[in-house]
Amino acid sequence: MKKLIRLVYIALLVNLAPQTAFAIDSQNLPDVPDGIVSISTIDPVRLVGYTVGDIIEREVTLTIKAPYKLIETSLPITGYEKRYKGQVIGIELKSVSHTKKENKNSSTFNIKLAYQIFTNNVVAKNAALGPEYLNLINTKNSQDLVKYRIPSLDIAISPIAIFGQVKIENNMSPLRGPLLLSNVKENKALKISIGFLAISLLGLLYILGQHAWLPRMGGTFAKTYRALGKLPATHEGLKQAVSKVHASLNSSANMSVFSNNVTLFIAQKPNFAPMADEIKLFFSLSRQVYFEPNSAHQVGNNPQQWLKSFARRCRDCERGLTPETPNQASGK
Amino acid sequence: MSDRQLADWRNHALNLESEVNKVVVGQQTPIRLITTSIFARGHVLLEGDVGVGKTTLLRAFTRGIGGGYQRIEGTIDLMPNDLVYHTYLGEDGKPHVSAGPLLMSGENLSVFFFNEINRARPQVHSLLLRVMAERSLSAFNSEHYFPHMIVFADRNQVEKEETFEIPSAARDRFMMEIPIVVPNDDAIMEALVFDTKFHNVDALVNTVQADVLQFDQLNAFSGVVQSSVEASETLKKYALNLWKATKSPLDYGVKVSGVDMNRLVLSGASPRGMSMMLRAARVNAWLNERTAVLPEDIHAVFHSTVAHRLVFSPVYEMRRTEIAREMLAGIINAVAAP
Repeated sequence: MKKLIRLVYIALLVNLAPQTAFAIDSQNLPDVPDGIVSISTIDPVRLVGYTVGDIIEREVTLTIKAPYKLIETSLPITGYEKRYKGQVIGIELKSVSHTKKENKNSSTFNIKLAYQIFTNNVVAKNAALGPEYLNLINTKNSQDLVKYRIPSLDIAISPIAIFGQVKIENNMSPLRGPLLLSNVKENKALKISIGFLAISLLGLLYILGQHAWLPRMGGTFAKTYRALGKLPATHEGLKQAVSKVHASLNSSANMSVFSNNVTLFIAQKPNFAPMADEIKLFFSLSRQVYFEPNSAHQVGNNPQQWLKSFARRCRDCERGLTPETPNQASGK
Repeated sequence: MSDRQLADWRNHALNLESEVNKVVVGQQTPIRLITTSIFARGHVLLEGDVGVGKTTLLRAFTRGIGGGYQRIEGTIDLMPNDLVYHTYLGEDGKPHVSAGPLLMSGENLSVFFFNEINRARPQVHSLLLRVMAERSLSAFNSEHYFPHMIVFADRNQVEKEETFEIPSAARDRFMMEIPIVVPNDDAIMEALVFDTKFHNVDALVNTVQADVLQFDQLNAFSGVVQSSVEASETLKKYALNLWKATKSPLDYGVKVSGVDMNRLVLSGASPRGMSMMLRAARVNAWLNERTAVLPEDIHAVFHSTVAHRLVFSPVYEMRRTEIAREMLAGIINAVAAP
């Protein structure tokens, strides 16, 4: 039995011996030759104002050219307490994770490091995240072991509360920029006001505009309204005006509109509902002008002027606006 | 004739309509169209199922306008002479001849109703069409005239067995084809079934005021209406465009769902048809107290005066009613005035 225990003990010693023999202190290794490793980091924007409990994250991307390769077991260990000149500085690596991408001539490591602050002071004090040392091995020569140093990041640890009376200008960290007043609110209000003004101006131009440069502006009644103003004040001019308004109604309805299908037209184009009575008046005028000269119309003594204002109100309906009343349109 | 007389006749016409509307309920549009055809002096083809009130409608009109009313049923063995006379053995044992339905009322015949015309043979159609066109008939070595007669013929479009389709030339003699359908108003339908006044047709027709119009003055007055109601140049142009559109609807952008428009129309409305349409439109304008025809007057009679004149490709004949309705509605929507 004693023999057996002795044999097991010897076997354990033999198995553990190589691992202890390879345990290497990174800082004693030579530096990696220049040009082998390139580094880029994503550091926190804020470098001051940290206090106990804060977690600061860094992201380091290393590209290592062949034949060197990262010994992944040399990556920093979670929970390791950082020291400076042998003293615990109160910053601990809380988590580390990495991804690896291998290419023919290089390998890329993306290492995410999260440090947690476990210290505080009555006044601001400097501290640093890192440095971290990584070991690299030459794959063509296993005896060629080198180290690479991930540079440290200087930060400032701030007190939780101000101790005594402090003149803030004297106490400001040079790492922190000047204090600025926030103008976000005012900027937002200004932008909203400018937008509102622009929309109002566009709306005004849309209502008063004569030319088709906005949606619905070039509608058939807009064109007819413009054309009516150019017609002579004669019976022939009146006939043309009535004909143009007929054409606009037909075009709007996408069918021929007559006095007996005005209801259908308004059902299809509810925008024109406020004009129902006036459309009937228009048909009484059309009847007199084109079909039955003996009949009477109720559009007043100046039918061409009435037609113009009728076309304008129809144009408003066409644009989805509420038309002016006949009195408003004539300026009374 | 003065405006006052035109107004008096209009009042009589509207009174007649109102009287007929009392006994034949829910048929305002057909009644207005029949009034129009009476004053436009045009023959009418009635289309509708059995038992919808066509005979009652005609009897009510006949009572209102006065004159004789005759009726004959179309059957496959009906011969032309059956319209003119019939023979029988008298009490004296000798053969006798008496006047048939066409001659029975003489010149006072005002309404002649040919029920189920499409069951009669083409020979019978020929005789009737001559009588319709010329309002005269040669029989017993003399010429008989029916100056006040309007023919109302009825055909059932659903049943096709043992029927002879009326050729397009014959259909063209009718001024209008008027559909008579059962009203879809529940109250009216209920009244027709449960109101006992509708059960006795004779008593019902007798409630119509008699002789509201004088049938023997209608021809003369019809001429007055036609000459009194104007048609402007714009209206004439509009009517011509409608006519052209019946011939080539595709030129006016008219389409009918599920129909090849290039093959649909073999022949549009005839000149006689368009002339009858304008006659009817003038009467409609007069009934609506207008002195000139408006497009709306044409719309009121367009379908009933044009639909039966259209000649479609045989492949579409079975769907004639719905295709004609959609095509003519499309034409009205497509053609503008002015």
